[in-house]
Parts: sequence; C-alpha cells; structure tokens
Amino acid sequence: MTLLSVRDLVVRFRTQENTIHAVNGVSFDLEVGETVGLVGESGCGKSVTSLAITRLLPTPVGRIEGGDILFDGRSLLRLSEAEMRAIRGREIAMVFQDPLTSLNPVLTIGSQMIEGMVAHEGLSTADARTRAVELLGMVGIADGHKRINAYPHQLSGGMRQRVMIAMALSLRPKLLIADEPTTALDVTIQAQVIDLIKELTRRSGTAALLITHDLGVVADMTQRTCVMYAGRIVETATTSELYARPRHPYTVGLLNSISRIDQEPRDLRPIEGAPPDGSRLATGCPFAPRCAWRLPVCWSDDPTLAAEDRDAPVITTGPAASHLAACHNPVRADEVEVGRPQRPGFVAAPNPALVRAATS
Amino acid sequence: MTAPTTTPPSTAAEPTPTGDATADRPLLKVTDLHVDFDVRGRIGWGATHEVVRAVDGVSLAVARGRTLGLVGESGSGKTTTGRAIVRLLDPTSGSIAFDGQEIADLRGEPLRQLRQRFQMIFQDPYSSLNPRMTVRSIVEEPLDVHGIGSRLERAERVVALLDLVGMSIQAADRFPHEFSGGQRQRIGIARALALNPDLIVADEPISALDVSIRAQILALLERLQADLGLTYVVVAHDLAIVRRISDEVAVMYLGRIVEQAPTAELYRAPLHPYTIALLSAVPIPDPAIQARRRRIILSGEIPSPAQPPSGCHFHTRCWLYQRLGEPERCRAERPPLQAAGVDHPVACHFVDRIDGSVEQLQAVGRAAPSHTPIAPAPR
Repeated sequence: MTLLSVRDLVVRFRTQENTIHAVNGVSFDLEVGETVGLVGESGCGKSVTSLAITRLLPTPVGRIEGGDILFDGRSLLRLSEAEMRAIRGREIAMVFQDPLTSLNPVLTIGSQMIEGMVAHEGLSTADARTRAVELLGMVGIADGHKRINAYPHQLSGGMRQRVMIAMALSLRPKLLIADEPTTALDVTIQAQVIDLIKELTRRSGTAALLITHDLGVVADMTQRTCVMYAGRIVETATTSELYARPRHPYTVGLLNSISRIDQEPRDLRPIEGAPPDGSRLATGCPFAPRCAWRLPVCWSDDPTLAAEDRDAPVITTGPAASHLAACHNPVRADEVEVGRPQRPGFVAAPNPALVRAATS
Repeated sequence: MTAPTTTPPSTAAEPTPTGDATADRPLLKVTDLHVDFDVRGRIGWGATHEVVRAVDGVSLAVARGRTLGLVGESGSGKTTTGRAIVRLLDPTSGSIAFDGQEIADLRGEPLRQLRQRFQMIFQDPYSSLNPRMTVRSIVEEPLDVHGIGSRLERAERVVALLDLVGMSIQAADRFPHEFSGGQRQRIGIARALALNPDLIVADEPISALDVSIRAQILALLERLQADLGLTYVVVAHDLAIVRRISDEVAVMYLGRIVEQAPTAELYRAPLHPYTIALLSAVPIPDPAIQARRRRIILSGEIPSPAQPPSGCHFHTRCWLYQRLGEPERCRAERPPLQAAGVDHPVACHFVDRIDGSVEQLQAVGRAAPSHTPIAPAPR
C-alpha cells in the first residue's frame, strides 16, 4: 500500500534578487514499511524535498509552486496549518542531522518527550513519563529515569540523536524522515544509530525516508534509492540493482568517487566541475556540463525518467520497483568500472552556446 | 607502499646511525609525545583541577615523500597530535625531530624560521580563510610574513601557486565567500604551499566537502605529493579516505596509538579489537557485501580523557574483553605497543586471538568461513 506519494513537486525560493529552483519536478512513492534513500550532494534538493513533505519550508521565501504530496490518501498541501501540526510528529516524525538545534535547550529532554505524548496521545503526565523512560531504554539509554532530567547540552551528540529517535518514535508515526541522521556522529556511534533505526522501523513497520550524501549508509539501510541532482531525481531503482548496475553517468561518477575500506585504492576519476547553484534552470540535461557521455541532444532536451525497456510497465515501489534513469545516453555495463565511455571515436558533445560564441 | 616508515616505541635502543644519516632518516620522528591540558573548574566551594592527557606517549615516524594517516574517534587525541607536530601547541614532554632537528621545545625566532617548512591544512574551508582578504592576499600572506621575495616575485608566486592547485588567475582578486567549499580548500592548500614546505599536516582536509568534490581534492593532494615530494600527516576519522591516501596508518584511542601498520596490511588484517570495531562500523557501499557483514557494536562512547579507564584504556568498550570473560589483565595492565607482525605494532594483551577470526574478516568485508567463536581466556 502506498503511504506517501510525491507528484511532480516543484519548490522555489524567491528573494528580491533572485529565484532558486530548488526542486524541479520530483516524483516518488513510498510504501508502508519501506525504507527509501534520497541521496545527493548539497544543493541537490533532497532536504528541501523533505521540508516540503513536512511543510516546514521557510516562509515566505520557500514555496511549493507545483505538484502534490499525498500522505495516507490525503493531499498534505490542502491541509490547514493546524491540521498539518496534528500530522507532524504524530504521523510523520523527523530526525535531523544536528539534534542540538532541534531540541529545546531550556527544557529537559523528559519534558520535551512528555509534552508530545500528552498533546498527541492524551496520556497523563505520569503515564507519559513512564513511557518516556521505556523509550529511552529502547534506544539504549539505560539510566533513563536519571537522563530524563538532563538538559540537551548535558548529553553527548550520539546520546542526543538517540533522544531524538526516541522522541520521533514515541508517537508511533507511520513515516520517519531522517535527514543526515548520522553525519555529525563518530563512526562507532553512527553504527549504533543505524542499527537502532533499522531495528525500530522493522519492529514497528514504520516507513522511512532517509536523506543522506553517504552512499555507504544508503547501501546499509535502504531497500530503494533515488539519486538526486539539480532538484530532480536522475536515477532510481532498488538499492541492490542501483549499486550493481548504475546507468546514469552521475550515479556512476558518485560511486567511482568514493573510497572503500574493502578495496585497494584505484585511480581517482573525479566528476569534473561543480553542481549548478539553482539560480538558473538549465536548458537540456542539468548534468550535461559535467558529463563525459553527453550527446548534442543533452544540451537541448531535458531527459525524463524512463526504464531501459520503454514499453515495460513502471512499478514505483517495493522489491520489484523499476530501474529508471533520466539520461539520453546511459552508461553501459562495461563502462561502469572504467568510469568513461568505451566507444571508439566517442567525444563528449561540446556546449553549442560556447561553439557559437567562438565562431561568431 | 610497504616500506617500514615507523618505529614502535617498544623497540629497545635507538639504532646507531651508520653511513649517510640523512638518507634513511625520517623527515618527522615523534618520540613519547605527551600533551596535557589543565582543566580548572569550580564545583561548590572547592576549586577543582584536572589534567587531561590528550596525547599520552605517542611515537611515530614518517619518511620523506610519504603519508601517515592518523585515525580515531573524537577525543582520541589525533588532532592534538597533529597540532603539536606543527607546534600550534606546546608539547608537555617528548621529542619531535623534524629533519633531524629537535623542535619540541623550540620557541621564538628559530621556531618561526623553521615553520616555513611545516604547514597545516584545516578542515573547514569556510572558517579558515579571512573573509576580508582577497585570495591574492591570503596566498601571499605567508610570503609577506617571512619577507620572501620582491613585490613582483611574490605576485608571480601567487599566480604559480593558484595554477598549481588548479585555479585561474581571475580568482586572485575575489573574496573567499565567492567560492564553493572545494575551491576554498584549494585556496587553503595554495596558502600552505606558499613557503615550499616539506611537511603538511592536514586535519580532516576533505570531510567538509561534497562527495564529488572530495575526489577532486584528494586527486590534487596526490598530484602535489608526487610533483613536489611532500610529506603528509593526514588526521581523519574516515577510514575509507585514510586507506586511499596513506602509506601507513596509526589508530589512536584516548591519547594512545593502539595499532599501526602499513596501509594494505591494516586493511587486510587489522589486529586491535578497536580497529576491527571501527572498520566493521564503516558501511561498505555495496548492498550485497553489506548484507552479509555483521557489525560489532561498541557499547557506549569514548570515555573522558580526564578519567581514562585503568589498564587497557579500551577495555570498558572492548568486545574481545567481553568475549574472553573479562580477564583481569585488561583492567590491571597497560598493554605495550609491541610487534604483532612485520611493521605492525599492536597494543593488546590478547592479540593472538584475533588473527583469522570471523570478526576480523567481516570487518574488512572478506567472506568469513563458518563461525568459530573466540572462547574465554584461560584464567
């Protein structure tokens, strides 16, 4: 059953000086109990997508200017702020990268946990307190009855992230959105937090949307992955399929850019250049300026997400989800390892605008 | 790749120099380095005084043109070690020999003169460049400070340095905020190279950067090392990046080196339970491999260096200590850093139980044979 459906989402940030095209037509679905990764570099729109889902975009600068977000059959965009508040925390819980900024520094962690449960679940303060200690135990904080009186600054980063997860899961949400939940943590603490989220989502059947730049964490935690670039999804597949047979040149570049603990270092093949800043919408494929596989058509036509076999029915969720890539000239299997086109005589198409400028 | 570049502290006497001493003398040799921080506080009416042993007897050596990776969690002392090496901090005791010259207690003008030869690259390209200075003045500043060259020569040097790090001369008159993180890190590297240093200590040089930009900066650091014969000490928490860049790796825990080995050796057969736990915690970006690994979850967090545990600092979180039935020895006795293989010192009383274990194989992503659990130690 589809729990979340994001359809053609468009988010822009408008200031007096300029407009940032943060999300440009993103669509994906999330099934009950599924964990999906949104992966990409800074500025690709992954966090903005999650803020749009929770309607926490900074107003009035950030606006959803197109598309729809369906959660549990309802359009979140048509809800009033009061209705949205009832869903946030209760049905959609969030965990952010830096727990220090999302916890209230002048309240004890106990009162913050209790507040949510009293407000949303109608528990008495005493019952909520007992439940809070239980939840702290569940996330591996053994002396919960003491820790509950601590202020956020008295806890370490890993401990604070556990508290955030305990709070997020205290209301048994249907969807957990975790935005770089382990990025600020040491690797041994990251491992604890990953296992915790995996275990808790598995046990409670909570669906999770994991937003991260870390391809290792995605491989470890998710069943399905969407790779984002310049405000759109450029490739999506089940996680095992995506890593085994990446087709988009950007995905291939990312996978070839990372070092691994289990492999002898190979020659680095970095993706050239830097991502676009979103202040201008590119004509053509946004990755074309950095792409070694680009064709002349890439400079003029923006490719749409499609399966290799364009006649096959598209499955958007679950273990049989289709492998889709937005690319005019996908990477062939024999080119993935090398990270370069292996076609005799192939030259990446030059930018026609620069060619025109040079000849005139 | 596997040449011995380090000397464990436990090897008895100093080898007496024979023949040409400079030929095989390491560029950097640190012996029994200690850095203590005094922490004064006030609890109730009494003033408290604590000494934090941030670096607790570290010895290492790096040969010219090679790279030593220093890894560990926050609080392991890796950054303090790096800062003490370039003398941004005063060591409490111990020796730092740079190209044969003792610099641990060097001060004032002699230190300033020698500073030209060791430089530092910082983690955060956003806060380590002065926002009010142009790129030109940032890169030129070290030359000004040391009074090197005429005005024209300095201007030429800036152009050459920007070119060296892959930036155009148009960048020179712009300000740091006009550049992305990767470009700023290039500017920081150009500044570090201005005085033609021999040694660069890089503290998390790429961890603040995006994935595709990280590879660009790593490639730049590798190229500069090959072209200029630089020697690197890279402080990092990311074990995958350390594997990529280092010839030799030292793993630190609570101020001490617990294991040190040539890179290929460390990632093939790590021998300290802490190293194994660290490696097992790093997710491998391959779902098929990742699915069959079992992580070693360390309980709790790194203890405060103000009150380190007795005996082996690591025993409070050690999975092997648990597995062996909590042997007394780990609580009572500090394990010396001693050779467990060729160029491979390890500080663990039970290092012989590790090699070939399922935990070791899974940590490095190798397929493990059927599970043979490590049995409790004989008491």
